[in-house]
Amino acid sequence: MNRAGGSGFLRLVTLVARRDYLRTVRRRGFVLGTLLLPLSIAFFFLVSSVVSTSGLANDADPASVTLIVVDESPVALTADLVPTLELVDRVTADARLADGSASEYYLVPDTWPASPRVVRVSPPATGTGLESAQRQVVQQQLLEAVLRDALMDGSDLPADSQDRVLIPLRLEALTTEGEAVSDLSLVASFLIPFAFTLLFVMSIFITSGYLLQSVTEEKENRVVEIVLSSVPSLPLMAGKILGLGAAGLTQVLVWLLTALIALPLAADRLGGMGDLDLNPTVVVLAVVYFVLGYLAFGGIFAAIGALAPGNREAQQYSGFFGFFAVIPLVFSGLLLSDPTSPIVWVLALVPLTAPATMLQVVSLSETIPWAMVAASLISLVLFVVVATIASSRIFRATLLLYGVRPGMRQLTDAVLDRR
Amino acid sequence: MITTSPAVVVEGAWKRFGSTDVVRDLSFDVRPGELLGFLGPNGAGKTTTMRMILDIIRPDRGAISVFGGAPGVTHQERVGYLPEDRGLYRDVPILDTLTYFGALRGLSSAEARRRATRLLTEVGLGDALKKKAAELSRGMHQKAQLIATILNEPDLLIVDEPFQGLDPVNADMLKGVLIAQRDRGAAVVMSTHDMGDAQVLCDRILLIDRGARLLYGTVAEVRAMFRDGAVVVAGRDIATDPAAYRSVAHISVHDGSLRFLLHEDATARDLFRELAASDATVERFAEEAPDLAEIFIRTVAGAAAPPGQAGPNGSHGTTGALGTTGVAR
Repeated sequence: MNRAGGSGFLRLVTLVARRDYLRTVRRRGFVLGTLLLPLSIAFFFLVSSVVSTSGLANDADPASVTLIVVDESPVALTADLVPTLELVDRVTADARLADGSASEYYLVPDTWPASPRVVRVSPPATGTGLESAQRQVVQQQLLEAVLRDALMDGSDLPADSQDRVLIPLRLEALTTEGEAVSDLSLVASFLIPFAFTLLFVMSIFITSGYLLQSVTEEKENRVVEIVLSSVPSLPLMAGKILGLGAAGLTQVLVWLLTALIALPLAADRLGGMGDLDLNPTVVVLAVVYFVLGYLAFGGIFAAIGALAPGNREAQQYSGFFGFFAVIPLVFSGLLLSDPTSPIVWVLALVPLTAPATMLQVVSLSETIPWAMVAASLISLVLFVVVATIASSRIFRATLLLYGVRPGMRQLTDAVLDRR
Repeated sequence: MITTSPAVVVEGAWKRFGSTDVVRDLSFDVRPGELLGFLGPNGAGKTTTMRMILDIIRPDRGAISVFGGAPGVTHQERVGYLPEDRGLYRDVPILDTLTYFGALRGLSSAEARRRATRLLTEVGLGDALKKKAAELSRGMHQKAQLIATILNEPDLLIVDEPFQGLDPVNADMLKGVLIAQRDRGAAVVMSTHDMGDAQVLCDRILLIDRGARLLYGTVAEVRAMFRDGAVVVAGRDIATDPAAYRSVAHISVHDGSLRFLLHEDATARDLFRELAASDATVERFAEEAPDLAEIFIRTVAGAAAPPGQAGPNGSHGTTGALGTTGVAR
């Protein structure tokens, strides 16, 4: 008899995981869900490109923004500093507004510089759209530079000092070792942990949906007893959790890959965020917490799938536990200001809040709190082992009770393997 | 006589759910190359017993051995199980489902696929390999499920109500499959409510009610237990007056044959001698024995009667070749 396959624990886990993974990633809903983010980003670029071509973005470029000024002040303004400055009289300026060749002009009255008052004049029907707002912000910056330049023209300040009045500083951030710290790294240190935590929570909900579907489907299709007579419940449950977790990770990886490709392309629009520089230790820890976090929630959701009478109830129950994954986001402020506070310690030690908490802690802390990392990892690993074994036992015990809600005693018996 | 070691031995098994003893002191064995009919009314404890053999649940007391060891993982490759409450993945092609089930039972995926293709073709489902279960008729479902059970050529096959809901043609086909498995050397345990099937297919039967064993033995042995001293005779020149015989108490006519009811101390052999000594020409001589359906009704009805009249507590207990049996007669 050909029994080349054998029945080793790992073989069964692999078999179930592979089958559930392939079945899930071939579902139409999965493919659509996975492609939704890349398609959305592609749509964003398309729209952005169209808008850019229409000239909206170019209007915000200082070199292309025309500044029309009516100068009635006792200080003579010049166009030396800003080539796009047009100094005109009031009649000409009004005529430009009337014929539509200008949208606004700036009146520097004879009371300036004694009074800081400067007037922007525009036709009555002019709206305040995004395009106008962008242009006017640039015009104001240009006008401020022109006015400063005019004030310093007759002063006794040395040329260097005059330059510093115009441009007081150019901030350069360095580490103690003399390495440059870009503004983007600072942004990334806040954004990445937060985005990663959000991604983690999303992944948990999506993947738990697959897990619940898989477990309830076996009940509804009445194949559970055939399966349970073929394979022990522990490798069956472990295989399901791993296979469907892999499906969830596949989805997340596609999204991450999309983000990595899209960020450099979007560098212009997002201010150069393509140059992110992440600490490798933080990345490794983030992946570890991501995987352990999924396994912890996977064990819980698998048990819920086994206990719930149907898929709808299972989704409702899982929503309650999914709430734990979100709690650390509420405490993001505390994690930033005092990452070693007692509350953070509690969040780090509770297995269901540990992953999202620690993802943020290791990213936000100046030095990684290794004691907290070790304690939370031990707590998580223990919980994953216990939850997987318990859920497999509940699965075996309760799936034989089609449509019947087991009581506490039956649950206890199941967890303690009293068959 | 079968001398091979039993595939399954159940000794004094008890199982309680809540305050109910679902299985009570149950003992039996199943041998390779035999088909054991597992009979009993609904709720008798048949499915619970089968699940205990499969290690899905465990007995509270007593012992169960499968292939000489404890039931469990080590035997799962050698066991095939068709539960009463069964199905297939609705939106998956049946060939893929059967391949998966075969792989879970220890076959390589390629081998499982090859065997599933061959067996599905043999039962007339060659054109439906790629069809999803949702597209199949009930009969097709049943065939596919039975094939999933025998895909790994199990040494122990446990089938719970295998013919339920099948038309006669498909039922006959599946009976052939079960007999082939038995003839191949597999130990087969079949739960059924159809006494006709049990009488024709089974080598031995085990009848239980309320978790306790009522009857256990070969079909012939069990039927012999229920003989009530009547002999059916057909032929010519047979005297119909009971006074003509020392061993006969009463004679009646049934379907053209004579039914002789014997005195309590007389045997069929006594009547045969008397007929042989007379002028009668005997064409048929048979001890009358009820079929399994009648035995089932009489036994289970008796077991359900109030204690003191009949049933496990008040029935006629006998000890013999069949083991301890509580027989309500």
